[in-house]
Amino acid sequence: MIVRMSKVEIVGPRDLLKRVISFLRDVGIFHIEPDIVGFVEKRDEKHIELFLPDKDDLSERIFLEDLKSKVEELFSYLPAVHLKSRFIEPRVIIDSIKEILQRHLLLCRGIYQKREVFKKELSELCSHGPLLDALEPLLKGVKKMPDIDFIGLVLKDPGIKQQLGEFLMWHTGGKFELLTSTASDGTTVGLITVSKDLSARVKNLLGEKDIPEMKFPPSFNNLTFIEKVRFLKDRIAEISGEIELFDMQLESFLIKWGPIYKRVREWLDKRLSVLKAATSVFETRMCFIIYGWMASGDVNNLGKQLNENFEGKVILKELGIKEEDIERMPVMLKNPAYFQPFEIFTRILPLPRYTSYDPTPFIGIFFPLFFGMMLGDAGYGLLLIILSLLMIKRFQKNRNISDAFKILSVAALYSFIFGILYGEFFGNLGHGLFGLRPLFIDRQHAVIPMLYFTVTVGVVHVLLGSFLGFAIACRRKIKKEAICRLINIMIILCILSFVASLFGLFPALLTKPIVLVIIILTPFLLFTGGLLAPLEIIKSIGNIVSYARIMAIGLTSVLLAFVANRLAGMTGDIIIGVAVAGLLHLLNIIIGVFSPTIHSLRLHYVEFFTKFIEPGGKKFEPLKK
Amino acid sequence: MEKVLVAFAAALAIGLSAIATAWAQSKIGSAGAGTLAEKPELSATIIILVAIPETMVILGFVVAAMILFGV
Repeated sequence: MIVRMSKVEIVGPRDLLKRVISFLRDVGIFHIEPDIVGFVEKRDEKHIELFLPDKDDLSERIFLEDLKSKVEELFSYLPAVHLKSRFIEPRVIIDSIKEILQRHLLLCRGIYQKREVFKKELSELCSHGPLLDALEPLLKGVKKMPDIDFIGLVLKDPGIKQQLGEFLMWHTGGKFELLTSTASDGTTVGLITVSKDLSARVKNLLGEKDIPEMKFPPSFNNLTFIEKVRFLKDRIAEISGEIELFDMQLESFLIKWGPIYKRVREWLDKRLSVLKAATSVFETRMCFIIYGWMASGDVNNLGKQLNENFEGKVILKELGIKEEDIERMPVMLKNPAYFQPFEIFTRILPLPRYTSYDPTPFIGIFFPLFFGMMLGDAGYGLLLIILSLLMIKRFQKNRNISDAFKILSVAALYSFIFGILYGEFFGNLGHGLFGLRPLFIDRQHAVIPMLYFTVTVGVVHVLLGSFLGFAIACRRKIKKEAICRLINIMIILCILSFVASLFGLFPALLTKPIVLVIIILTPFLLFTGGLLAPLEIIKSIGNIVSYARIMAIGLTSVLLAFVANRLAGMTGDIIIGVAVAGLLHLLNIIIGVFSPTIHSLRLHYVEFFTKFIEPGGKKFEPLKK
Repeated sequence: MEKVLVAFAAALAIGLSAIATAWAQSKIGSAGAGTLAEKPELSATIIILVAIPETMVILGFVVAAMILFGV
């Protein structure tokens, strides 16, 4: 629900300004308005000026912002670990901190930069890792003699080995050995052993044949193949050790200084937010004035607290809200515990205006209802209730996942209730096992009655949306729009009555008067809503028919459950039958969770909310920690 | 023969509208995915735009049901 807001003015002596802002920040319920418009009468504007920070404030802000950027830089070099804050007062030791911070920054930056250089080299060397591991057993198996050279290869196509053997045989006269192995990443590596006088020629020929030699970093150029492999291994071990050492140095620095710098950062945040907020304050010759918004329910309490904390020198006054203020009023949404999980569906919508409605309670009421109407199976409902309760317990700390399963538990409960009404328990299994019969409607066979029922639900939902739109127009005192919306509702009702009378649901005698009413109302509709107003009616009719999806999706669900049971029966074997039915029911449950969720949300976003939600609200952003 | 024609008419009603919806949603969906990459805050608008053509297949389904059940 949209919280009722109050327009507030806080006045006090100028020397208390920073203490008051600091207090408001600690309380965290006051939204400062940086614009004077709407708060001060035109004639009084000349007496009030924007608070101009003095030289001391400005130099303090520059000094603190510089310090904060350095502290942030220092933390960017340190490992991200949860730290406890030290109970020190940074204000007293701020000059010493600035001095020592410079030295610490140089130290940590140096360690970090060296570590980064080593990390880059390590990642480059490690890219050879799998190839070296594959080469190692090959190198162990060959004799190392002074006149023998080794050539490492990467073979793109493992099948080329035979061709390569024949090629080398031809050019070396059989004075070679070719061994191959497969690396852990699937690459085929080869090792050619050849006498040193033939080595250069073989390398050239391999280049011509487009068989790449194993590449090593340029710094390895002066080494022999065996030395390269050994050096690479040694270097990887050496660099890993160095990186570990740097990590230890940074970690020990963090343990020693981290809590102090964390406290300094918190203090800097608080001080800077007070200094920044002071630029949105106004002043007269003697006083400061803070204009802003807060929840109406908190006004008295904050007034008392200000009075007690500042010995009656600071006064809070609630100002009267004018019509033009409504556009500027910030919006804060607050819902009862039941509706709070449903906020994950409304968070993706733009914030509604202050005069509009919070969509959360509506989605909290209708979403589970539509979900239940679509899935409508007592067995599936029971399973989903158990699953969602287990998941809520398992993911207690992850709010988003826990909220999603809370919604599922409510939706599953509705599914259970509708399952009883439809007489469905894992499809028609309930009927076979314990004679479960439909209490309300047999949706597998009564397709048309179910269609009428869902379209009727659509009529109620769409008309509720249209009526809320009418209520908002009345609240905003836009008469023309209110009349247009009312005529819209009346014409929709007339059209529906006309269609119902054609289908024999209403007496045929009503047909002519209904048409007459539509004809009379149409000019008024055009006058109040313009030439496009009739289009809105056609859209609304389309929206109502769209609710037929509740029946359509429900029908697919019940038919799939029926097929699962039927197939299980056809197997003639109890174990295979249970397995087949279980798999198909599982598939149906998975589809039955996703599909009704998406379609139920669509019915809200497209059919319902477009009738009354007015986007464009300004977010309530209180000054807080 | 009449039964075949009725079934064929119902199939056409749902089939053609389903193809039309699929075509429209594919176009809107790909454009929407591109938009979301640049402006994630428009997700609600994109969902609405993608969902709009679904009405066609629902209408097709209603018409098919009416044809089949002789309403």
